[in-house]
Amino acid sequence: MKPLHFTVNGKAVVTRVAPRTHLADLLREELRLTGTNLGCEHGVCGACTLEVDGAPARSCLTLAITCEGAKVRTIEGFDDDPVMAALREAFSEHHALQCGYCTPGMLVTARDIVIRLPQADEARIREELAGNLCRCTGYVGIVRAIASVIAARNSAAGGR
Amino acid sequence: MSTTTPSAKRPFGVGARLRRKEDDRLLRGRAEFVANMRMVGMQEVAFVRSPMAHARLLAVRKPADAADRVFTMDDLDGVSPIVANSGLPGFRSAGQYPLARDKVRHVGEAIAMCIAATRAEAEDLAERVEVDLDPLPVVADMLQALEPGAPLVHEHWDRNAFLETRVDDNLDDVKRRAAIVVTRRVRTARQSMAPIEGRGVLAWFDSRLDQLTVTSATQMPHIVRAGLSECLGIEQGRIRVVAPDVGGGFGYKGILLPEEICLGWLAMKLGHPVRWIEDRFEQLTGNANCREHHYDITGYADESGRLLALDCDAVVDSGAYSSYPFSACLEAAQVSSILPGPYVMERYRCHTWSATTNKPPILPYRGVARTGVCFALELVLDAIARKAGREPHEVRLENLVQADQMPFTNITRKYFDSGDYPECLRRAVAALDIPKWREQQKKRLPDGRRVGVGVAMFCEQGAHGTSVYYGWGIPMVPGHEQCQARLTPDGMLELRIGAHSHGQGLETTLAQVAHEILGIDPARVRLIHGDTAVTPYSTGTWGSRCMVMSGGAVASACKVIAQRVRSIASHLLEAGADDLVLEDGSVRVAGTDHALTLREVAHTWYRQPQRLAADVDPGGLEATSGYKTTQDTGTFSYAAHACAVAVDDELGAVEILDYVIVEDGGTLVNPMIVDGQVYGGAAQGIGTALYEEMPYDDQAQPLASTLADYMLPGATEVPAIRLEHMETPSPLSVFGQKGIGEGGAIAPPAAIANAVNDALADLGVEITESPITPRRVLAAIAAAKRGAS
Repeated sequence: MKPLHFTVNGKAVVTRVAPRTHLADLLREELRLTGTNLGCEHGVCGACTLEVDGAPARSCLTLAITCEGAKVRTIEGFDDDPVMAALREAFSEHHALQCGYCTPGMLVTARDIVIRLPQADEARIREELAGNLCRCTGYVGIVRAIASVIAARNSAAGGR
Repeated sequence: MSTTTPSAKRPFGVGARLRRKEDDRLLRGRAEFVANMRMVGMQEVAFVRSPMAHARLLAVRKPADAADRVFTMDDLDGVSPIVANSGLPGFRSAGQYPLARDKVRHVGEAIAMCIAATRAEAEDLAERVEVDLDPLPVVADMLQALEPGAPLVHEHWDRNAFLETRVDDNLDDVKRRAAIVVTRRVRTARQSMAPIEGRGVLAWFDSRLDQLTVTSATQMPHIVRAGLSECLGIEQGRIRVVAPDVGGGFGYKGILLPEEICLGWLAMKLGHPVRWIEDRFEQLTGNANCREHHYDITGYADESGRLLALDCDAVVDSGAYSSYPFSACLEAAQVSSILPGPYVMERYRCHTWSATTNKPPILPYRGVARTGVCFALELVLDAIARKAGREPHEVRLENLVQADQMPFTNITRKYFDSGDYPECLRRAVAALDIPKWREQQKKRLPDGRRVGVGVAMFCEQGAHGTSVYYGWGIPMVPGHEQCQARLTPDGMLELRIGAHSHGQGLETTLAQVAHEILGIDPARVRLIHGDTAVTPYSTGTWGSRCMVMSGGAVASACKVIAQRVRSIASHLLEAGADDLVLEDGSVRVAGTDHALTLREVAHTWYRQPQRLAADVDPGGLEATSGYKTTQDTGTFSYAAHACAVAVDDELGAVEILDYVIVEDGGTLVNPMIVDGQVYGGAAQGIGTALYEEMPYDDQAQPLASTLADYMLPGATEVPAIRLEHMETPSPLSVFGQKGIGEGGAIAPPAAIANAVNDALADLGVEITESPITPRRVLAAIAAAKRGAS
């Protein structure tokens, strides 16, 4: 077990971790932040996507020990974030989730798309979602929800 | 867009596009999936699984320092094998031990279980367990399985077949008359249903209640309880099964799991909680368990393409064991009963085999046999149309059951309850604009790719009941569906049902039903489900049944509550019960503002009984009511799928250019949720059509073990599907709703294959195997060229 110091959802965490433990297991089993779901544990499905130092990351492929000093934000850490609030509203409005298992990872990716690519059209949104699998929705509602948040943000920016 | 709209007095009722009550916790990462739950003293379980498909199990050696943390079938005293027999004549029976005994019969079969504080440590332990396996000849293919002299998967049988079924008919006259005869060999790949959440079980024993609790990601908690009781040998009253939030099912979680039995036994043996969470490797290598069909099918038609008869030999690769409760033969037997699809014909013959192989036991996946059946039949119809020299949709229009024939009993005695099948197809064809694509086809795409169009149709039996299922004699026959409804003392409504939601949104749609009957705000309705301790019995969530059956049960129980509310309020308001209306969360004397809220009525019943009439119904504000459709032959939703594809004849790649669905789900309780079901099903159907395949080698070793090689469709593979609704109410259900959950997944392989074949028709290419991978496209083109030269 090795010492680890990092920040999770704005709170300092000091713990000890086995070198082989991935970030998702540490968050879920030790810190009891279970909003980050595991789908494949080999970096394909994207269900475990969260934010490390402001960028989306696969927590199943991220060894916890490599997060020394990092700022990690999980789905539980976005409750005060206005972009995430808009996305949550849009996901519900456009029925962008059914079982909801892929949803936390999908939302973290969606938020990254919205912030990084304000000009993204439907085709680009779909490309950007290629690393997040959903088995329920056929992606229709997800793409619409993200597009609607981009459009609303652009229209708010244009009106300023 | 749909045309079902809620009434002015019931704005959140049937037809309302209501946002889902379940969304908030899912969007904020506060859902409670099995893997999110942990208990004090809990240990994790990892299984030792067979690396061989067929072998004698000679010995299992436990590490000496951890022998008390490893368990084999020999340790599981009192545990019986899973037995899922069918009552159909000729069914060959074989039990499945939850941990292998004497033999292993597929890769991934559990041999031993290991416990430790963490899953990683349990897996470390599992790696130290030594297993002696003596390889046996492997049955890797369903046709090989049926050959004389094939090695036997179950040695006490005479043949590798759970069941053979026959629908016989005399085709002599048809054979003489048929101007067109088309014979095709059709094959569909084995798939993994692959919900993003795998299976998971958490079990513990409550010594106060003398009760085993098994929390499982299941679609059918009451069936699991029954099965656990049979296999563990304890009374059902001593078992509680809870399904928490479940991350997708699609049929994958409609089963009594060997792991549920193992963990149930462990929890009772050890006295502390145990948990097992399936990982993706276990799922893909040990549980690719659906869809694998083989057809030798002949269609007979007159010169115009009018179908005279179908003649089919169909084989389903049913795997090594018979799964509980649906059995190993549901799939193949269903093939013979639904192969005729929505079409009319004079004669029909079908012979099926449920072949037994060294692969994981088959489970019914969304659409069950319909996806394979639709693929085989629709390919044949297109081939007939080509021979007749006509547009495939024109041939179909003449072969479909016509609107004025409804309701219609077809050649296999299926009762199609309502609808206009030809109109559905006409709308899909119009929406796709086939003439536009035919023009494009002539000049190809600017990048040189070929263009093709394809259509496919099906009808989907949903919510079928006792009369359909008892004949199978399987461990589960659905009867009445029940709901317990209760107004709480503060006037909220609790609904308890035995089915379970794993993405379908029942917390929302059943609240809409309650609103429709009682006028109560859906926000004040709570659905309690998925827990055998507190809900009425149900066979669970499968067969596109919940909106019809649970919806009917909720309506029925709410009507009883409405009557009781009227009766109590009649005394309090000094008005006739018949003059009272329920709306806006109140009970009101019609045409006046003289009213009581439901809260006031409930408060009186529970807290101020001195104000009640002397002869008040002692049943109070709680009622359990059962429901069946007016006849239990099932609602028949139906749909036409039409698509245009681009085919690269050099690379073999297929791209969907446009995809249209016109479907009829009867009255839509929540059109937004129905759309979601259709879109999501179609995405899975596109996976079946183009991407998803679990290949096996000749030793029945699965050749895909990650989601990088078992390819699920992503956002770039699924197009922006265009969806239209027809809404012919079912005469059999309470609001006219029809089961709709599976339909989207049925037709895409057929529609896409027909479009690909249309694109390649001038090369003489016809692909009859799914998924339509680039390799298969190029092989078919090469074969056609060889044949032509």
